[in-house]
Amino acid sequence: MMAPAQLPLLVQLLRAPACVSGWSLKQWDLMLRQAVSANLTASVWSQLDGAGLLDVVPAAARRHLDWAHCLALRHGRAVRWEVRQIAEALAPLGLPLLLLKGAAYVMAGLEAGQGRLFSDIDILVPKERINEVESRLLLKGWMSGHHDPYDQRYYREWMHELPPMEHVKRETMIDVHHAILPPTARAHPDSRLLRAAAVAAAGQDCALVLQTLAPVDMVLHSATHLFFDGEFDHGLRDIVDLDRLLRRFGADESFWLALTPRALELGLQRPLFYALRYASWLLDSPVPAAVMAAAAQAGSPNPGLLALMDGLFGRALLPGHPSCGDGASAFARFSLYVRGNWLRMPPLMLARHLFHKAFISPKVAVGKV
Amino acid sequence: MPGVSLRWRLLPGQRLRHHGWHGECVVFNDLTGDTHLLGAGVLPLLLAIAGGPIDFDELAEARPLLDSLAALGLIEAAAC
Amino acid sequence: MLTVGALSRGELDARLAGRGLYLQTGPFINAIRSTISHVSDGIALLYADYPLAASTEFADFHLHFPRSPLPRRLWRAQVRFDHDGVKPFAPLPEDQAWPMFEWVLNWCVSSRAHSYLMIHAAVVEKNGFAAILPAPPGSGKSTLCAALVHRGWRLLSDELTLVRLSDGLLQPLPRPVSLKNASIDVIRNYVDGAVFSRPIHETLKGTVAHLKAPADSVARAHETARPAWIVFPQYEAGAATSLTPLAPARAFMELAGNAFNYSLLGADGFEALAGLIGSSASYQFRYSSLDEAIATFNRLAPPAP
Repeated sequence: MMAPAQLPLLVQLLRAPACVSGWSLKQWDLMLRQAVSANLTASVWSQLDGAGLLDVVPAAARRHLDWAHCLALRHGRAVRWEVRQIAEALAPLGLPLLLLKGAAYVMAGLEAGQGRLFSDIDILVPKERINEVESRLLLKGWMSGHHDPYDQRYYREWMHELPPMEHVKRETMIDVHHAILPPTARAHPDSRLLRAAAVAAAGQDCALVLQTLAPVDMVLHSATHLFFDGEFDHGLRDIVDLDRLLRRFGADESFWLALTPRALELGLQRPLFYALRYASWLLDSPVPAAVMAAAAQAGSPNPGLLALMDGLFGRALLPGHPSCGDGASAFARFSLYVRGNWLRMPPLMLARHLFHKAFISPKVAVGKV
Repeated sequence: MPGVSLRWRLLPGQRLRHHGWHGECVVFNDLTGDTHLLGAGVLPLLLAIAGGPIDFDELAEARPLLDSLAALGLIEAAAC
Repeated sequence: MLTVGALSRGELDARLAGRGLYLQTGPFINAIRSTISHVSDGIALLYADYPLAASTEFADFHLHFPRSPLPRRLWRAQVRFDHDGVKPFAPLPEDQAWPMFEWVLNWCVSSRAHSYLMIHAAVVEKNGFAAILPAPPGSGKSTLCAALVHRGWRLLSDELTLVRLSDGLLQPLPRPVSLKNASIDVIRNYVDGAVFSRPIHETLKGTVAHLKAPADSVARAHETARPAWIVFPQYEAGAATSLTPLAPARAFMELAGNAFNYSLLGADGFEALAGLIGSSASYQFRYSSLDEAIATFNRLAPPAP
């Protein structure tokens, strides 16, 4: 694995934003291109803003960051409205609305949510109530994306989620999960445990009753999502999420103490090990040595396999930009894709959008309905 | 519902940005990001509601219009 | 400032094949790499007046148009657009490399440059005041635009109207004017010495060719303009010329529907568009004769100070 100074500029910035003082315009140019390929431009804006460094960015580069930030602002507004609509649609069921991944980060006001772009809202519901949830969503304007009876059955039997649903008017997507991994996967984290430990989303709109996974579970889910999933196109982005979560929750010592035991309880010790290992290597996440050791004890593969994984992940987690790889990178990404799918059923890829277009309403006038 | 009075109010978060020309106006919906074209008379009603919640029954004749505005996410009937 | 025309064809090709041609269009620097001859031909023909960026340290957009690898290249060669390793669009036959180039340059700006409210419209200027011509395909907007800019009007853009969020002024982005089918011959006859790219047939839009932008418009690309008129043109064969005032609120909604990033900009987009509408007079415009159309535009009254 590379020494920090050899890491791509984008990764250096994410590790330690202060390193940008004194960058040449050429370096800014390259970093921006890496950021585009990793879909992290808005995150870079947030990082530099948080570090008080936006004003040192040269104007030519600054406007690109501002453009991405503009996009992120709009995205945030769309997410908040969408979550509200989902909450209203499901309110009659009396279920807590448990958000996962990006939507959770945004609604809980976490750093991981800033500049974080994503296309779907993910929620977790009890398996025994999933049909009711689907019915409520259908009633309120969502449509199931897969009409093919085979696809429908595929999702319901083999996957841990409903087929993605799209709202007719807003064209937004919701993924309704009853588990965080499919039944066919090697690990079977118990959803009841996850739901029982869920916490209120402290941040945004006080009128809504929202939940997210507990901090430890949120980290484990993020690790699972990255290391069990087939898609490494956003590998760096997912490691950035992990790093942000670890930094936020790591201020609390009880978080670290609970992490490995909980991973064992859920059967997720292997992804936890990889998550801590690669986040600390790549982004210098502050993982206490004792925790690293405990996670290794619980979840490290044998040394031979670990060396192989280091070689593969070490490349696959870098930005996809041509400047960041050697010939081995494309192969690394592919073999991890194959590996990912060995652990779970292949995901279906869909092109999706979160923002709705400006809905230009027909004229509303007094006296007319 | 006895004892509970409903009032029309702007949805929290709406700033009701608007611009008008020749009796028509456009309004920006801060929550949905939508833009609405409103006919004459609708804006004054919205501005009145923005000025402070108005009793449900006071605006009974405008009910269909108010329901439309609520469907657009501009106002709501809330128990106050 | 060095322009593309100052390079020999050999130097131009070498840059395109090597570290990139750093070409300035309006406020943007494009780093272009391609070994496809249609792309070099088009740039040599239509971009001679455009400045080369002062340095190659930074570009706003990095555009790579690779050729198909052999053996594909020998039979039904294709062009695709490579954006730093991401290929967002399906490939086209290599013969359509030039229209793809132009379209990709538009896409880069319209999908990213959110310090402007970007409207799908032509915009031209005379005596300090600008007319914006929004119109869906088939309305004759580009033909009208091409005619106007060869009869005393300055070209700011034929596709992308950029309204600066900071002050409401219009930012020029003069580029070749894209014309289709019958319009190509109409303008060939209307404009002395019109320089066109080689017409490409069988694109999704029919036959497409690009008209070189007037050198003066390119030279003045840094000069912003005040919006004064919004004119929705509609070409109709045999129709009498008519300019009809359009209610501002309606014009607002039409423009919002024709903007690339109106929704994305949220409240800022709303305010920028309101500012534009407030400072302009809006019209529907029907015409069949270019001469009469231009006469109408020349008679447009500037807004009261």
